[in-house]
Amino acid sequence: MAGSSSPGARRAAYLALLNEKAPPFGKVTWERSVPFGRALSVESFRLENGLRVLVCEDRSAPVVAYHTWYRVGSRHEKEGKTGLAHLFEHLMFNETENLGAGELDRKLEEAGAESNAATWLDWTQYNIAVPKDRLPLVAKLESERMQRLVLRDPQVASEKEVVANERRYRVDDDVEGAVSELLWATAFKSHAYKWPTIGWMPDIEGFTTEDCRVFYDTFYAPNNATIVVVGDVPEKRVLELVVKEYGSIEPSVLPDEDVRPEPPQREERVVHVNKPATTEKLVVGYHAPALGDFDHPALSLLTEVLFGGRASRIYRKMVRELELAVDVSGSVGPFHDPGLFEIYVSVREGKTAAEALAVLDAELDRLQESPVLASELERAKARTELSLLAGLDTVDGKASTIGFYDTVLGRPAGAFEKLETTLALTPSDLLRVARRYLGRDNRSVLFVHPEKGHAGAAA
Amino acid sequence: MEPQVLVEASTALPLVTVTVAERTGAVDDPEGKEGLSRLAARLVRRTGDGLPTEELDEKIDSLGASLSVDVGQSTCQFHGTVIGRSLERFSDLVVAVLSRPSLSGEELGKLKRETLADLVEARENDRDLAQKWFRKTLFAGHLYGRSVSGTPASIASISDADVRSHVAGTLAAKNLVFAFSGDVDETTARALATRIAGALPPGEARVDRVPEPAPLPKGRKLVLVDKPDRTQTQIYIGCLGTHPHDEDHVALHVGNTIFGGTFTARLMKEVRSKRGWSYGAYSNLPYDRRRRGFSLWTFPKADDAAPCIALELSLLEKWVEGGITPRELAWAKRYLVRSHAFAVDTAAKRLAQRLDEVLYGLPPGYHSEYLERVQAVTVEDVNAAIRKRITPEDLVITVLGTAKDVLVPIRTAIGHLTSEEIVPFDRDD
Repeated sequence: MAGSSSPGARRAAYLALLNEKAPPFGKVTWERSVPFGRALSVESFRLENGLRVLVCEDRSAPVVAYHTWYRVGSRHEKEGKTGLAHLFEHLMFNETENLGAGELDRKLEEAGAESNAATWLDWTQYNIAVPKDRLPLVAKLESERMQRLVLRDPQVASEKEVVANERRYRVDDDVEGAVSELLWATAFKSHAYKWPTIGWMPDIEGFTTEDCRVFYDTFYAPNNATIVVVGDVPEKRVLELVVKEYGSIEPSVLPDEDVRPEPPQREERVVHVNKPATTEKLVVGYHAPALGDFDHPALSLLTEVLFGGRASRIYRKMVRELELAVDVSGSVGPFHDPGLFEIYVSVREGKTAAEALAVLDAELDRLQESPVLASELERAKARTELSLLAGLDTVDGKASTIGFYDTVLGRPAGAFEKLETTLALTPSDLLRVARRYLGRDNRSVLFVHPEKGHAGAAA
Repeated sequence: MEPQVLVEASTALPLVTVTVAERTGAVDDPEGKEGLSRLAARLVRRTGDGLPTEELDEKIDSLGASLSVDVGQSTCQFHGTVIGRSLERFSDLVVAVLSRPSLSGEELGKLKRETLADLVEARENDRDLAQKWFRKTLFAGHLYGRSVSGTPASIASISDADVRSHVAGTLAAKNLVFAFSGDVDETTARALATRIAGALPPGEARVDRVPEPAPLPKGRKLVLVDKPDRTQTQIYIGCLGTHPHDEDHVALHVGNTIFGGTFTARLMKEVRSKRGWSYGAYSNLPYDRRRRGFSLWTFPKADDAAPCIALELSLLEKWVEGGITPRELAWAKRYLVRSHAFAVDTAAKRLAQRLDEVLYGLPPGYHSEYLERVQAVTVEDVNAAIRKRITPEDLVITVLGTAKDVLVPIRTAIGHLTSEEIVPFDRDD
């Protein structure tokens, strides 16, 4: 009877029709449905050419987020060619066979789009949000630059200069950026996480157009990408557009990753460095589990106990009680491979990074001796839940969360799965990860001293 | 008196935001006590309900909530966010925090020392330093030229009595606006606003006594913030901008969109896309209760600073003399009208617009009729607004860089320089 079939049957029916007329690589297969929070779900599809498509219908506003995630980041680069994934993110806004230089951005802005892109260790993503009636344009433009990017010397040269300026802004003239880069280079000796996503300056300056062309041909292919669409649009409409725009693109042969696992660190590494800072800084990195590791939620929650807000242990001790630091922060990297648990302490004028390390060590030793309090655990869990929900206010926020977890873990609702695991953690779990990861042999320590002429002078 | 309450309900997420906004900000700080508003608001937040800071923060965190305070030139806002299931308990806490802060002297001392340390740390942020000196120079002698955070001397001079007097005068029912968004209904929101207002002294709504900023002196003034060993510069160039009640306010905004308001605007195209000189290149036209500034922001490497400034000045001159084209206007309208969807796509953003209308005294319908007013703008409107408001001959140019490397070429690039000041990056006034 018309109108009484199940959603699954209706989907099967329209997919059959869609597949009948699909281009050579455009046949769609529905894979699964997963809940995303209390009211939404993510439908997962795959095209014959390997393109993954995730659709989350969200009727809260007449807008749509369209994110394209490529499973290529700085960890896929080689020594001497660092920063290529990030440079490429810039180049993707340039000329294509059917769009002149700057035309892609112009068309997006004319459509009222909010657009940007980002590159990190494991991925590169392009995010566009538009009023819902402009979705066809976005699908067309994203498909165009996936298959028909034009790479010429003038654009590559100009974009290299822009990236060099970005590096000066974020790293060379920024104390925190510079020391973070140094920390990773100190902690990693083998794995590709040892170089920065933005790349070393000589590498940026040395890229050729041919380097870029090889990179594009290798990694920018449908079988290395996921499209995430969140917003006020039916999944059927999304699939019609995706099949039309991407269904003729051939998959590429993706290379096997040249993985070089980081060997266990056997002894503490200590570096003293001078930077244009006003006060001393203490920067510490412990080798930490990958995002998909069983221990990642527990170490993340432990980080919240230590550094999350003014009631956290380290903030209380260093900023409030001892007035030793201006600010403290800690985070566990959300990466495909094991990363770092990073700690950053900006020390107050007249105090030293060595004093800060002594206090930090005492707190971390205490953490390995006795379990955290139940009240601390509950506070950290509540903060974790709030943080996740607050990040889902917009369609872009939802698409980013879905795309990130799908790209790194292959699980589009991984954020909620991780939250569920986190809410079930006990003090014993935190004790376990503290003892497993916070040994001094497992860390690198940077003492940052102010260069002459930069140290602050209190009024 | 019924409190003024704004509500934007939405069940899209199980979250509620609560904003309690004072109609006062840093411009109300007494002379020599700059930073008082911010210090006082932060002290309220830290000593609310007479609890020690750590205990209060534990309570808030454990509810799945956050409570922060944001002090600007003209407003002070307490922002709360809470998971819907904890709204009732969070409401009790917000009432207690705002109505019963201990304003403890010990905590004030701690906060002052923390603020002084923050001021030292702030010298590491090149962009903020350049922006600070641009604002100070553009609004020299005016309240908008002051620092919201204060200076080491002004912070040191603030006493317990200053803070108590300030809080009594500003955290008063008639001086507040209440705003709620998210998973909350109007009745619940009004009840909470009434509870908070009822727990506070009625007081009076503060009268806005901020004068209009004086026109810029004739000529181009250079302020070079000298910091050692910079590979890059931070450059702000600008003049006075617009006031929401100006007849040509929207026209000037449209003009700014074309000049430097988007990624494909003239400024970005010339500075970044064609020459690769700066990662970012934007112009900005904020609003407040009085006329604010118009500014261009770029950050080229030291060697490119002088040619970049010369280019920016020539682009400004061309914009003012030659105006915009009908094609540019048509494009800007399509961009502004369509992208407006992202100004109203969440309850929190819709609420922020309504709150701005109240706090900044915007003309009625400023946001709700925005699209119609953009559509009505003509090429002549835009060109007249640019010519009237933007003054390429009378500008403030602030550069953070290493003076020995960049001063001479920059001086040459600017031309018509009427005054020049070099300030050390660690100067605290």
